[in-house]
Parts: sequence; C-alpha cells; structure tokens
Amino acid sequence: MRFGRTSKAVGIAAIAAIALSACAGNTGGNTPSTGAAKQGGTATVVEVNAFNTFNPNTADGNTDINSKVSYATHSGFYYIDNKLNVVHNDKFGKMEKVSDSPLTVKYTINDGVKWSDGTPVSAADLLLQWAAFSGYYDDADAKAKTGTSYFSYAGDNSGLSLTDFPEISNNNKTLTLKYSKPFSDWEIVLGGPGIDVPAHVLAQKAGLKDTQALIDFFKSKPRGDAKAPQPADAKLKAMSDMWNTGFDTKTLPADPTLFLSNGPYIVKSMNQDQSLTMVRNKDYNWGPTPSLDEITVRYIGSAPAQVQALKNGEADIIAPQASADTLDQLKALSSQGVTVDQGNQLAFDHLDLNYSGPLADQNVRQAFMKTVPRKDIVNKIIGKLDPNAKPLDSQIFVPQQAAYADSAKNNGSAAYQDVDIDGAKKLLNGATPEIRIMYNKDNPNRVDAFSLIRESAAKAGFKIVDGGLGKSDWGKALGKGGYDATIFGWINPGVGVSGVPQIFRTGGGNNFNQFSSADADKLMEELVVTTDRTKQDDLEKQIDKKIWDSAYGVPLFQSVNVDAYSDRITGVKLMPNQTGVWWNFWEWAQK
Amino acid sequence: MVTYIVRRLITAAFILLGASFLVYLLTALSGDPLEELRTSSAPNRQALMDARINLLDLDTPAPLRYFKWLGGAAQCLVPLGNACNLGKNIAGQPITEALGFALVQTLTLVTGATILAILIGISLGIVTALRQYSALDYGVTFMAFLFFSLPIFWVAVLLKEFGAIGFNDFLRNPEIPPAVALGIGAVLGLIGAVVVGGEVKRRLIVGGSVFAAVSLVLFYFSLTQWFRNPGLGPVLIAIMGAGIAFGITILVSGLKNRKALQSSLIVVGIGVIAYFAVQPLLSDATGLMIFLLAIATILVGVAVGYFMGGYDRGQSMRAAGLTAFLVGALVVVDRFMQAWPSYFNNSRVRGRPIATIGAGTPNIQGDFWIMSTDTLTHLVLPTIALILVSLASYTRFTRSSMLEIMNMDYIRTARAKGLSERSVIMGHAFRNALIPIATIVAFDIGALIGGAVITETVFSVRGMGFLFIDGLLHTDPNPVMGVFLCVAITAMVFNLIADLAYSALDPRVRIKA
Repeated sequence: MRFGRTSKAVGIAAIAAIALSACAGNTGGNTPSTGAAKQGGTATVVEVNAFNTFNPNTADGNTDINSKVSYATHSGFYYIDNKLNVVHNDKFGKMEKVSDSPLTVKYTINDGVKWSDGTPVSAADLLLQWAAFSGYYDDADAKAKTGTSYFSYAGDNSGLSLTDFPEISNNNKTLTLKYSKPFSDWEIVLGGPGIDVPAHVLAQKAGLKDTQALIDFFKSKPRGDAKAPQPADAKLKAMSDMWNTGFDTKTLPADPTLFLSNGPYIVKSMNQDQSLTMVRNKDYNWGPTPSLDEITVRYIGSAPAQVQALKNGEADIIAPQASADTLDQLKALSSQGVTVDQGNQLAFDHLDLNYSGPLADQNVRQAFMKTVPRKDIVNKIIGKLDPNAKPLDSQIFVPQQAAYADSAKNNGSAAYQDVDIDGAKKLLNGATPEIRIMYNKDNPNRVDAFSLIRESAAKAGFKIVDGGLGKSDWGKALGKGGYDATIFGWINPGVGVSGVPQIFRTGGGNNFNQFSSADADKLMEELVVTTDRTKQDDLEKQIDKKIWDSAYGVPLFQSVNVDAYSDRITGVKLMPNQTGVWWNFWEWAQK
Repeated sequence: MVTYIVRRLITAAFILLGASFLVYLLTALSGDPLEELRTSSAPNRQALMDARINLLDLDTPAPLRYFKWLGGAAQCLVPLGNACNLGKNIAGQPITEALGFALVQTLTLVTGATILAILIGISLGIVTALRQYSALDYGVTFMAFLFFSLPIFWVAVLLKEFGAIGFNDFLRNPEIPPAVALGIGAVLGLIGAVVVGGEVKRRLIVGGSVFAAVSLVLFYFSLTQWFRNPGLGPVLIAIMGAGIAFGITILVSGLKNRKALQSSLIVVGIGVIAYFAVQPLLSDATGLMIFLLAIATILVGVAVGYFMGGYDRGQSMRAAGLTAFLVGALVVVDRFMQAWPSYFNNSRVRGRPIATIGAGTPNIQGDFWIMSTDTLTHLVLPTIALILVSLASYTRFTRSSMLEIMNMDYIRTARAKGLSERSVIMGHAFRNALIPIATIVAFDIGALIGGAVITETVFSVRGMGFLFIDGLLHTDPNPVMGVFLCVAITAMVFNLIADLAYSALDPRVRIKA
C-alpha cells in the first residue's frame, strides 16, 4: 500500500525530471562566494572505503579511512606534513631524544590534554600503545605454531621490539623508552599521529580495576619469548581481544567510551556504509586549531560518481583515483569554481633486472637500461594526466623529499635519461641476449611500459620474451625466478628509512632480483641505527648511488595524485602519502 | 501436489550444494588474496601476509575450506539456533551482519523500481498489442529496445548529469523560457496524437489540445516558480480526481454502469472534503499512520460502492475503492509538495534536492515528510534507470502474450456474443495474458535480491551487488557465498512458486506428482 503512494510520488518526480532535463542542460553552476574564510562551517569529504573500526592499528582495521578518521579525532606528539617532514606538536607534549647511547626517548604529555570524557591523556595510554605496537608480550612462533600473539598490530614492530619495558613517571605524564641499540625511525614509531585507544576504557572493558591496575599488570608481565612459549595469559588475552576487535563497528556505539576523542574532532554520527560525521571537540586546545565546525565523510567507490557528487554539491572535497577521463571531467568543473590539484603519489613503477641469467653481466644490464625509453613511457602513460611529468630518477627518494634533487643529480641516473641504442650495442658487443620480462598483464600501464621497452630494446639486439602473467599470478611469481626482468610498483614509505634494507639488502625480504653489494649492505646497516635525519639522507644518497652504479634497473614514473574541491572550501592541499588531503584538515575552512 | 513440492525441494537442496561448491571454488581460485601485500615494502610484510593467510584460512586448500564454510553455514538451518556462521569478510565483519544490512539497502533500491517496471511494462504491452503495427506500437517498441540496449552505467551517468545536476541548477531559478515551454508542449502534443490513434482529425484535436495545455501549464509553472513551491490544492485534486474516477470506471465496469461511476465520483467528493480534514493530522504523520489511512481510504471507497449498489455491486465497490486509493495518493502527493520548500531550503540540502549518490542526506533532520522526501530524492534516479532498462522485457512479453490471446477463438466468441470491447479485453483477454507474465515476474523477484551491481556502484549504494563485487575483488569467498546463498535460495523458491502459480492460474496445467 505504501508502495502505491511512494511510487506515485517517485513517478511524478521522475516525469518532472525527464520533462525538465531538456531545459536544465546548461545553466552553469556558479554559487556566489560569500567572503573570506571564517571560523565555522561544514565540509563533506569523499572517501572510497567505508569506516569500520575506531582502532585503525590492527591488521584488519588498518584501512586508509579508519586511519583518517582516527587522525582527525586524535592527537599525538607529531604529524607528517606534505613535504614528508615529521612535525612535532609541542602543545600536546614533548617527544625528545635524551640520550644517543643507549638511545633513550622521553615522551611527556602536557597537562590539560584529555579524552572527551574528561579523563586526562596519560602515560598509561602511551604504555598501552607501546605494548600493542612492540609485540613485547608475544611469544608466538609462526613456524612451530606455538605460543600466543596478542595484539594484532598492522605496523612494523622491529623498532619497538628493541626497547625495554618503559619507565613511567609518578605523575603518570612521562614515559621513557630505552632502546637496546639505536633505531633510525624512533621518531615515528610511537605516540602519533594519534594516541587512539584510551587505556582507561580498555582496562575497564577487559575487567581490570582501573588504569593503575593496567600499568601494574603490564609491569608485572615479563617479555614473551618465542623459544619458551607460555600458556596464553587470560587477562592479556582479554585486553588484546578488546584492542583487536572491541572497537570495530559500523554504527555509532551506544557506549560513548568506545569512541573517545582526544583530538580536534569527535565523531557525532555514523550511517553504516554511507557516511560519518565529526564535530569539533570543544575541549581541544592542544594542537592546530581547526576551523570547520563539522566534517562529513561520505563513501563513494567509483571515481565518476565522486566527480558528479562534487558537481552536484553533495561533496566538497574529493580525491579520486586519477585517470585521464576523471581529470578531464574535473577540469570541466573549473567554471563552477572547482579547484583541481595535481601531483604525485608515493607509489611508483619501476623496471628491475635480475642479477642472474643473461643479465648477470653488468654490461648487459647497463645496455638494457640504456634502451629503456623512460621519457616515452612517462609521456605515454602519465602524459595525458600530467604533461609536466618526468621520469623518476632515484631508487630511494621521491621528488617531494628535499634530498631527491641532490641524489638524482649525483646517483648516476643521468646516464639513462635518453635512449642510447648505440651505447647499448657497444656494451652488448654483438651479443643478442634473450630477456624474459614479467609483469602484471592485467594492468594496462604495465602492458604499455612493456611494449615500449620491448620495441626499444629489440633495436639494440635484445630478444624480448613476453613473460606477462595475470592479475592473480604475477605477485606470486616475484622473486621465484623464471624471468630476467620485471616491471612492477613500490610504494615509497615517505617518512622513515627502515624499509630500505627490506628491498636492497642482500637477502632482504623484498629483494626479488638478488641485488647484493657489500658496500651498500654496510651503508644500510649504518642507516638503520642512525637517528639523525640529515645523516640518514646522506647515507641514503650513497646507497642510491651504489644501486644505480650496479645497474639495478630503472624507476619509471610515480602515480598521479589528484584532489579537487569546491569553491565553498579553502585550505585543501595535496599530500602524496596515505593520509591524503586529510593531513592538514585543520586548515580547511568554509568561505 | 505435496510429493511434487517435496521432490522439488530435495532437488533444490542438491542444486544448492553443487552450485555453492562450484561458486566457492571459482571465487577462491579467481585471484591472489595476497596480491596487494606482495609488493608492499613494509618491513613487516611477512607478518601482514601471515595475518591475511590466517584470516582467510589460506593454508587450507579451497575445496576443504568449502566444507569448513559449509559446516558453519549448515548451522543456519537450525531453527532459533544462534550459531549461524557464514564466516567473516576481509575487514573482520561477520557476513551475517553484512548481509542483513546489504539486503535492506538493495531492497530499498530495487523494490520500487521493479514494481513500477512491472506495472508500466504490462500496461504498455497491452496497449501496444491492442494497437498492433500502429505508430504507437512502433514508437514504444523502439524506445523499449533502445533503453534495453543502453548500458545502465551510461544511462545512470546521463540521468545524474541531467536529472540531478541539471535539474538542481534549473531549480536555482526555475524559469522556463517560452520557446522551451512551447517545445516541450509540441513534443508532448505529438506523443498525445500518436497515443490517441484513430482518424487524423481526432489526432489533431487531441495533439493540439495537449500542446496547448502543456505549454500553458509550463508558462504558469514558470511564472509562479511552481517548481520551488509546488502544490496541487483542493481544486486540482478535485479535477484530477474526477478524471481518475472516469478512467477507473471505464476500466473496471464501463461507463454504462452508472452506479459505479456515481460511487467513484462520490468518493472523489469525500476525498476533497477529507483533504481539509486530514491536513492537521498529516502534519504529525508517520509511516504507519499513512498506511492505516490508506486502508481506511480504501474501506471508505468500498463502503460507498456497496451502498450505491447497482446491478453489479462488486464493480461499484472495486471502482470506488480504487478511485479512493488514488485520490488519497493525490492528497499525500500534495502534502509532499507542501513539504518541498522546507526540504529545498534545508541547510543540509542547500537548494540541490535531487541527489546523485547514497540513500539519504547525512545528518538531515526533520519530520516524516522531510525525511521521506529525502529518501525519494535519493531513490528517484536509480529507480528511473532500473525501470528504463527492465521495461523492454515486460513490454514485449505482455505484448506477444496479449496478441496470442487476442487471436484465440474464445475472444472471437466473446465478441460474437456481443460483449463490449472493454469486457472482452479486461475480462477475457487480459487475465489470460497475465499467466505467462506471472512466470517472469516470479523470476524477477528472485533476481531482485541479487541486486543491481552496476546501478549500486554508480549510485554508491552498498547493497548485495557491492558485497558480491567487493568480495570478488578481494578474492574473499565469504561475502560472495553469502550473497550467492540469498540469491540462490530466493531464485529457487520463486521458481517453485512460479510453477505452482502457473498451475493455479491455468487450469490446463496440472501438476502430476
């Protein structure tokens, strides 16, 4: 019965819409702007994925949207800006390196910093984060399938696993971490960008008396030892279960302690798989002051739908996956006052050469690298999106990082700027090696790159074999042999250097092409124990040169990063890393 | 009969088992669930991969994993048992929970569209069959096939561009330039002339009057900014009500049955009076209240028909009941229109009422009318898109079925014995023509649950289709299996119902056990 009526109304609206679409075609869309930016106002931001947990640190919950919401609703000792610098937030507290040997880091939380239920943010919250991130209590052995892994942390614990049980001051405001050996990324392993799980809530939910009981419990429990696994500790299990899944939800929990904020915003409402709304946290004064009163996040998967939502005023800020079509559509909106920002992401495609088979010979590798038409590849694949795009000239840095320019100049990449068929022929000296290139043939960009490389390399005498594999197989084939060169993508971590040895050290977990250089290994060993950022850059530049010198392969191009926002909003800035436009959400303002 | 049903159900169970095994294997083998992690340069890549392997139980071979899944799924059969376990998706959400939500989303999206498509499609089919090889027939056939062959993602994007963005731009200053008004009038006039059929003179008169009426109405709308402040008002409701009364009477009983016509017209009169009476009541409306009012309205109509009586009391009751319902609907539409300005100016809507995405404006607050309007403005575009693409099959099926019936001997007999054309068509042909349609409708209701993957994607609704495709993209069989189970079970049940309905409707078909 209700359908009868509903459908009548739908029908009438539908007829009206159809009848009028003819004359509603092109009336332009300039909303009059109402003066300069001011305090207050609202904005709607579009995200691809739907929010599903208030703890974005778990392996299951570690999706970009959860992290972004957590970023806006929690604060910590630092955040990362769009130049990929670590910016300290001294209004929240102080994170300082008090000693270099042993590396000792002291975290002090300022007075007045509190959760939205009034409880002060204390060292206990930080201790809980440490316990979860460090894997201190885990005694699981993946191979032998013994022991227990408690907190399912998505990040890397190799840094914090070097620390002893932290020291906590009597006033519960200071936590001091002592590392057993220096750790390069000490600045970004703990205490930020958000301290997101409140210890007092977790303690209560896990059946502990209070926060002090939690601290005492953590203190009493010895470090887990995978070699001597203990039976699972029920109390710890209860706590880690709460941490792992207790904050998962798609609707606003009835219990407000499950979504406490200590940051600029606090979640006000959630509409499952549709939207999430945050309003300002009234108490917040320990960091950058946001200007918008309310931020709504809407989840839209497809890029064209995002663009149309922006056009229709249903969204103010979007960051769709970049494609030539999307970009054209966005540029067409400029008459409506939409601003489009374009830049690069941290993800980049690269060609790696195996240090085995026909490419074991450095001359052959160099010859091959000389034939790679990097500029053509960039023009063909990225040129449509970004006419100014240039090939990436470093294996370690991206142009957003200050050290890139210097490193690119000196690392030897200059020799591979243009295709040099004659030079390649000279190096090959008449040989015609057969090279099998493996890539994901379901990714059109990789297919294009492969065809251009094949065409060019054939001119120098290389016999190129198409070793492309389907979407589901190429990843498994990485590092398994069966090919001589491969085209795929890495994501530069942006901040932190502990990922470098992972790819380039002899036997590193992601060292698929068996690159091995004693010098580079030594530099990397030094890199991971260097705590000074300038010195890290210096070492990385040297490593970059070693990689290029040994004819490792060539980086090709960075993926394109796009955001667009309506003329209602100001202050949106492009960010290459996972945080995306959210990195400076406090600068967003409504005109 | 019972044996037949039992046999069908047992076969269905086996089909379900076999199909689910196949779907599970195909999904599990369709990709590499670890793909995104393989090229991660995170130092803890291995740990992340282990966690994923653990979550999806990738160490167990897919065929064995199916039986583990089946073990959990089988517990759903235990009535009142709370052990139903369809596994979890990649984000750790139980599938049963995800399914529950997705089902509601999908049903909201497609139910209205399907019902409307069936109603419009069947009526168009009958009309085109009655006027075979006329301009109308060709026109409708052309349009039906045109929309049928258009890809829905494209239709949807166009609808969003013009129906939402363009219409909202228009609403900012809803003035229709005279030329446009005349143009629309001319197009509708032409359509009118085609629809009405008959002699040239008749067509010219009808076409001309439609042209004049539409153009004038559009001028009026433009002058009064009607699209910003729409409304029907009692006068218009009375006029439209009278039209409805005649129309319904023609269909139900024919105008010769004066009592039926009179009861319908009386109901319209009651409706106009009730319009004033219910306004204060409607201000505090709830969904339940509208539902109860609808029932009351129909009962009033039926009662009027009963007391008017006539030689065929049933016809009067039907005509008056239907008229009452439609006039009631007009009153509700009018109330929606009254709420339109406040919806339009709502701070969340900001003067752009027709939405392109989602199922509702986030954080919108208001009374029943504002909230319902919000739902409708979000549903209108996907509904139109779905109707356009699914219209063709209903139209063509009905048309051919109707044509077949119209050539039957008993139709000729009916005409020969002097029955009016109305009774021949409505009483003898139409009902029989509906029998094959019942089958398609039952199938389509089964397919309803499967969702409309593309429509959901374009309009950003996270229903069954999204659940399915998302699971597939992540090579995560659990959500895919959840959707599969729902779709397969409804499809099979409705197939069975279709077969049973067939035998119930058509006495020539008898189920032999």
